[in-house]
Amino acid sequence: MAGSLQHYRRYVMLLVFLGGFGIVLFRLVTLQVLQAAELTVKADRQHQKTMLLEGARGAIVDRNGKVLAMNLEVPSVFGVPTDVDSPAQTARLLSPVLDVRVSELEQRLRQNRHFVWLARKLDPEQGRWFDRTRVEGIGVVMEGRRFYPKGPLLSHLLGFAGMDGQGLEGIERRYDSDLQGEKQIIVAQRDAKGRTVFLKGQQAEQVPASGHRLVLTIDEVIQYIVEKELDNAVARVQAKSGTMIVMEPNSGALLALASSPRFDPNVLSNLSPDRWRNRALTDAYEPGSTMKAILAAAAIEERVMEPETLVFGEQGSMAIASTVIHDHEKHDWLTFAQVIQKSSNIGAAKAGMALGDQRLHQYLQTFGFGAQTEIDLPGEATGLLKNFKTWGRRTVASISMGQEIGVTSMQMVTAIAAIANGGKLMKPYIVSEIRDAQNQLKRQILPQVRRRVISQETARAVTTILEGVVTEGTGGRAAINGFRVAGKTGTAQKIDPRTRAYSDSKFVSSFVGYVPADNPQLAMIVVIDEPQGEAWGGAVAAPVFNRVGQQALSYLGVSSSEPVKLAMAAGGP
Amino acid sequence: MRLLAMCTGLCLVFLFVWERVDMVRVGYQVERLKQEKTVLERERNQLHIKVSSLSAPDRVAKIATERLGMAPSQRGQVIVVRVGPLMAPSMQSAPVELRVAKQEPVDVRR
Repeated sequence: MAGSLQHYRRYVMLLVFLGGFGIVLFRLVTLQVLQAAELTVKADRQHQKTMLLEGARGAIVDRNGKVLAMNLEVPSVFGVPTDVDSPAQTARLLSPVLDVRVSELEQRLRQNRHFVWLARKLDPEQGRWFDRTRVEGIGVVMEGRRFYPKGPLLSHLLGFAGMDGQGLEGIERRYDSDLQGEKQIIVAQRDAKGRTVFLKGQQAEQVPASGHRLVLTIDEVIQYIVEKELDNAVARVQAKSGTMIVMEPNSGALLALASSPRFDPNVLSNLSPDRWRNRALTDAYEPGSTMKAILAAAAIEERVMEPETLVFGEQGSMAIASTVIHDHEKHDWLTFAQVIQKSSNIGAAKAGMALGDQRLHQYLQTFGFGAQTEIDLPGEATGLLKNFKTWGRRTVASISMGQEIGVTSMQMVTAIAAIANGGKLMKPYIVSEIRDAQNQLKRQILPQVRRRVISQETARAVTTILEGVVTEGTGGRAAINGFRVAGKTGTAQKIDPRTRAYSDSKFVSSFVGYVPADNPQLAMIVVIDEPQGEAWGGAVAAPVFNRVGQQALSYLGVSSSEPVKLAMAAGGP
Repeated sequence: MRLLAMCTGLCLVFLFVWERVDMVRVGYQVERLKQEKTVLERERNQLHIKVSSLSAPDRVAKIATERLGMAPSQRGQVIVVRVGPLMAPSMQSAPVELRVAKQEPVDVRR
């Protein structure tokens, strides 16, 4: 009896042990075989972390290396709502630090999610608070933020980059692929405290390369002079807007490009796209009398006119195709040079008609009108130049005085630069060099001649005529003491969208020219849209040309070629 | 002989363990130095931006005109003296341009 009981106990013990081992074996097989793949992934997820490393966006500098745009790593703050015990208390604590309303923070922290942004791309000073204070469920990561240290300077040209570092406007957009830093995804090991550990065989120096650095042709100081004078002019005449471009006529490199009013690319909230539009490229306007400079080049090149050719001024009015065109002064006989200098519409119309529609159209195309200048900036308009076969009976006369044609400021300054440099149409450009993070030259952009548009002889003759515009004609206020200036004024009536006729109160005033006329260093255009009061290009735009030219020539150290008239102080020697 | 083999084996095991531990320690050190480098680079970039914004032409012009009472030079106030071939032979290779303010007495013979 005692023996069978002992046997019975042994069997029970055996069964218990076998059962126990069976359970352990079953669990072992389940973990190691059946769920092996799933659990391996889970374990990897716990001790490995995937990191996206992104190289900094490249800087943009002017021709002298002055920084115009640069990236900086700044703190962004996120929350893990599931780890936050008291959303209301945390929101109250963070609100003054992040400068976000308490209710907004609380609402985000109450979301049923594992990750929410609380504030992105803060100022570095704001992030320092988190170095000193640890808040449960709140974390900080560093993200690249674009800074424009000069504020509104060059804003229309630089454009801006978006929250995720992609170029959205201007150079930032056009050269986005060059500016973008390299992106790398790496898998790192982490320990129990979450610190990154580099193990054998793992590359510790995986730093992605920064984006390329762009060197512009722009000169920061000349740009400042242009923006200051343009802003002053727009404010003085209460104009809608203004545009100015300064170009090196021999290379096509831009030294300055400005639109007024400006904007600060560091503060974009509440700004409409209208404010950041680069009007020098996107807006086509009827140029008015500045077109007569191009007409003169075409007429002299084709020998239908010489500077001394006499043209009858019709005493100030002439009928063409059942309409009448007028001059602002009555003239009888004028030389062709005087037609341009006194900006006679009738004389210009006669020169245009002598040239003929086909040749006029051909010269306008050759000078680059009706097509993009191919400058390396986005959003360029082609302007408006209709095929000559569709022209009306008055069109030749209208185009000769700058109507029935739409041009951009960029097209006009490129065309005048071609006259300035002796007849070569240059491709305008804004970026001269692209360098990598180690400052190695990756690409160099050199001046590019697109075509010859007129002979050197014609260019010289037109320059003499355009000098007369400043010394004897409508552009007197563009004259710069000590330098020979060549240029042309323009005052164009705008079309009233309500009546679809030319307005008597809305004008575009402009001046286009170059200086020194005998050795051109600067080709410039000033366009003022809808000035109030006196609207003549010679009164509104020419003084801006004068002030910018004077300061820019002095800054560039260009020596006077003419005797300087000195203004003596009262009581002085 | 057997004792020597055991000692050698033990040494190899210790060496292996030490190497693994030290690698992790150096890994932490590398990571800490990288973080320090990142912080310093960030500070350097911040200073770059600060220098750039402080040297903005409108700020400089404002300080020069409003605080220091300066004014842009007018044409005729600056005289450019080009030093040409009449100078000593050592200076002939590169023409020198001197820019002087007119108000200052200048002895051009020097």
